[in-house]
Order: sequence, then C-alpha cells, then structure tokens
Amino acid sequence: MSTMSYRDAVAKALQDSMRDEPRLIIIGQNLAGHALRPLVETYGEDRVRDCSISESAMVGMAVGAAMKGWKAVVMIAYADIASVCHMAIVQSAAKLHYLTNGRLNCPLIIRLPIARFRGHGPEGNEVGASWFYNVPDLNIAMPGSANEAYWSFRDALQRPTPTLFFEDRSIHTRSGEITENSSGGKAQITRSGDRLTIIAAGRTAALAEDAADQLAKEGSCGAVEVISLGFIKPLDKDTILKSASKTGRVLIIQDEPPWSGYAPYVRCLLDHLPAGKLTTAPRIIAGADQFLPYWDERPFLPSLESVVAAANELIGNKV
Amino acid sequence: MTATETTPDAGNRSAIEWKLYANMLTTRLFEEALVRWEHEGKMSAQTFPSKGQEAIAIGCCLALERGDAVIPSFRTRGAMVAMGVSVAEQLREFVHSPLAAGDSRDAPHHASWPERGVMPGSTMIGGHLAMAAGLALAMQLEQKGEVSLAFFGDGTLGSGDLHEAMHIAGIRKLPLILVCENNGWEMATPWQKVRKTQSLIPYAEPFGFATRSVDGNDALEVYNAARWARATALNGQPVFLDCMTFRAGLYSSHFGEVRGDVEKDLAAWEQRDPLRKMTDWLIGHGLASAEDLERLSQQEEQRIEDTLRKVLAETASAT
Repeated sequence: MSTMSYRDAVAKALQDSMRDEPRLIIIGQNLAGHALRPLVETYGEDRVRDCSISESAMVGMAVGAAMKGWKAVVMIAYADIASVCHMAIVQSAAKLHYLTNGRLNCPLIIRLPIARFRGHGPEGNEVGASWFYNVPDLNIAMPGSANEAYWSFRDALQRPTPTLFFEDRSIHTRSGEITENSSGGKAQITRSGDRLTIIAAGRTAALAEDAADQLAKEGSCGAVEVISLGFIKPLDKDTILKSASKTGRVLIIQDEPPWSGYAPYVRCLLDHLPAGKLTTAPRIIAGADQFLPYWDERPFLPSLESVVAAANELIGNKV
Repeated sequence: MTATETTPDAGNRSAIEWKLYANMLTTRLFEEALVRWEHEGKMSAQTFPSKGQEAIAIGCCLALERGDAVIPSFRTRGAMVAMGVSVAEQLREFVHSPLAAGDSRDAPHHASWPERGVMPGSTMIGGHLAMAAGLALAMQLEQKGEVSLAFFGDGTLGSGDLHEAMHIAGIRKLPLILVCENNGWEMATPWQKVRKTQSLIPYAEPFGFATRSVDGNDALEVYNAARWARATALNGQPVFLDCMTFRAGLYSSHFGEVRGDVEKDLAAWEQRDPLRKMTDWLIGHGLASAEDLERLSQQEEQRIEDTLRKVLAETASAT
C-alpha cells in the first residue's frame, strides 16, 4: 500500500468501508455541505445522512439500524460531545449484543475526534476515553499512527459490538505506511529496544516514538521499545507482558488524568509478571487532575520533555 | 352440545375482533398470574401490569405485518403476545429456563424476539424511541414496505430523546409510528403537574407527524387507527397515535398502587375496560355467548397455570 497522513488514513478507511460495505451508513452533521461532500456525491444522501444537533438520537438511530443488519459510522464533532450521548452509547449501543444474547449485533463506529490544542477550551479539549473504560462490550480505538488509524477503523466494523474511535487531530499530519493487512487489533511495537518499554496510545504513542528517537540520537540507541496500543480496549495483554519481561522497565503514558483509563490498568496488569521480572517500579505519566485551560493545555499534559526525562531516569542515564 | 349453540370455536374465529379479544384475554390473565405467582413466591420478577391498557399494544401489533418491528415499553406485554410470542417463551425469560432465547439477560418486560420483530426496549425512558427511528431509517433504505412502531407512556414527554427522534423522523419522513399510552400519570404524579395539556398531539404535530387521538380502551378503534397509521407512515409521513387510557392495575408488582385518590377514576374507567368492551362486542354481534367466553377464560387461565408448571419443571430439571 502507500504512505499517507493520519488524517488521510482515516478518510481512506471511511471511503473503503463505504465501498466494501453496501449496508453501511454515515450519520452526522454538516456532512453533505461540508465534511463529506465527495462521499455524498458517490453514495448519495441516503447513506450519508445529515442530522440535526441530536447526538443522543444519532447514536440511538445507529443502534436501531443495526437491529436490521446495517452498520453505521456516527460522526461526533469532537470527543467531549460523547458526554451528550453517553446514555445511547452505554445503554443502547454497548448493551444490544449482550441483551439479545448475541441475536443482534451492533457494529458501529462512534467517531470521536480529540480536539486538543485548538483553542476549544475546557468543554472541547478533553479525551474522555477513560469515562468509558469500565463499560463491557465497548471497544475503544485510539490509533497512534496512520496505519493504526486505517486498520482499527476497518477492523471495528467487523466486530459484533460498537467501537469508540478516538481520532487524535493533533497528529493528523503525521505520515506512515499503510500495511497490506490488518494486525487484527494487536498492539504494535513501533520502536524496538531492550532497556525500557513505553506503552502509549494516540498522541502519546507518537510522543513515545519521538522520545525513543531522541534518546537514540543522544546515545541510547536500541534502548527504548515503544508499544502503540491501537485499541486500548480490548487490550493486547500478551504484547505488553512479553515486552515488559524483556526490558524489565515500563513507562506508561496517558493523555488523561491518572485515576482511570488504560494507564492504571496496564500498571496493575504488570503484577501478573513473575517476581523479579521488573528491575524497577513501573511509572505512569498522565495528564494533570484538572480541566485544561483555553490559553494553554500543554503544561498539564505529557510532553516530549517529560517523557524523555522519565525514560532517562528509568534506564539510568545521567543527564 | 347442540349444533346451534355458540361456542368459542364457532363463528369466524379469524376475524380481527376475535383476535383482539383472545390476545387481550391472554395478556390480562397472564399478567394477573405473574403478579400472583410473584406474591406467592413461585417466581421473582418485577411486573408492570397493563390492566386496562391492553387494547393499545394489542390493537397496534395486530395491525402490523411481516417484517415490521416493534419496540415495547415496560407496560406493553400485549405487544409480545400479539406478535406471536407464546406464554411459555415469555415465562422462560422470567425464570431463566435453559430454553430462554435471551438467556434471561434482559428484564422480562424488555425481552426481545428479533426474528419476530420484537426488539429490546430500554429502561432509559425515551432511549428506545431513537432506536425505533433507526429501525425506520433502515426500513426506508430497504424500501420493502415495512414500518417501525414504538410504545411509550405519556411521561416520556420529558425525555429529550423523544423530541430528538420526532425531530429527525419528521424531517426525514421515516416510516415510524409512535404510540403513546396516555394514562395521565407519571407513576405517582398526575399529568397536570408536569405538562400543559394531557394530549401530546400539540407536541408532535409541529415535528411533521400525522396525529390521531385514539380511545385507547377501544381495541377496534386502536386497530383501525394503527392500520391508518401504517399506511400513512409508508406513504411518507410518520404518525403519532395518542391513545387515551387509564391504568387499572398496579404500578408494578413491587410498588403496588402509588397514585392517591384514584378510586373514583378507577370505578369510572372500569366501565370502559377494554376486555369487557370487546366481550360485549362479541356477544352483541352474536359471535359468542357470555357462557362461552367465561368458559374460554377459565380454559385460558388453566393453560397459563399449566404453562408455568411446565416451564418451572424444565428449568428445575436443568439445574
């Protein structure tokens, strides 16, 4: 396949899914007139459905359409708005497969772009993935590369239960190669190393890769292994435990506060390793436990500097 | 028995009036038995009896056709009966029989039989109406001449999802029928305390719905209104049926009666009981005698008791 940006990979995943899945519809706002004009021209307004500002009903309708065997991508303007349709996501979408004893599937994508660093203020700059982390049967994709963006999207539509697709706009322009085949939802080792494993997703996976590259330039070549989770739920536990066993040191980065989410969960998961496998205590770098101000979000979030500093400390580099 | 004696089997038993009567009888006796069995400790489940309101669910569902879908409310057991789900099949969900199609996962009043068009309801009041609109959206795309119908109580007026679903369905001309069981009470609160008019039609009309106020205690009137609604919805206009009625039974088997000062209302509505009304109609038109119907009622009560024994036995033998 080809090399493309993260943004283009998401767009291509949507286009290819519409091409390959004749019973797939897109529900959202301002689609025909703005966001998806070319798709409307190809597939018509029947399958690309403009909707009023009714996010709860948009998700509920996608579930109803799923009852008749349709798939849907619900386009939410940005991730914070998941709170508006929380009921429909948790009660209607996530539970349909379970409640019907598997007689009905709910292969939906609820697309939730993370709108960091765009001046949206505290009601528009959250991630919110951790709000949903304890909901069974709810897949959560948080791609950190173009390839993960493309394939997690395509994979999600094959699942019997819905997927929250946290697309990170802050890495929209990062480019990468799209592989011929899907990894089947497995986490990706995007940098190989033998002294430290950094586990991350979305923007923080990109940060981890940049940190590994910087450390390599500074003399720690081949030290840092980076695991980009892709799907933070279900979680690829095998890849995490295998890498942690190899390096003996773990750093987890999460772009939300530390109370819940994949970071504390992965931290607990490491308890499954035999005693002595880890040479030092695992560490988490998470967002601050506060809302993020309009004027600058960065001081309260993981940064390249904080990741590099923690990595150096964990592998014993004196800087 | 002489040739001239009218028996339950005589006359045109396939006439809609007979079906309305038989389905209401089954629903009434089944729900009375459910409450009795629960209070006797034979089984444990919360039941929301539809006594006095049976004509609404049954009149509407008998007006549906193959391929149509219904989402029940929590007080429309008659919908399951009229859609062809047997007493045994419903009981299996109550007691977690090994033969329960839904594995007793969902609350018994929301249990579903998707292959027969009975979709899972929602405990989130109004949440199921967006799903009903989504079913209608899929039906509109498929163009097979199918409609989606959902029941809800008048208290649902307060739910945002009702308004969102009406807004979208009206604009998109979805083949959707919304049926309000307008009994004037939100559990223990009379309608006067929570809205301006008892009728919900003034709220539905501006969204583009065809509306009709219906005597919800007259099964034939409900049936005819639902046939009109089906044709209208397929002709490109969603329909809102405001079925005026009164709850003659308990709020639920757990809460009992929660309304204050309803004795006079109960007595007045007893005169308009839908089952009695249908009984009078059959007798008045020479299709049955009072004795026939009394015997039929006793036979049905026995059949329901026998069904419980059978279902409890099959459940016990599996453990």
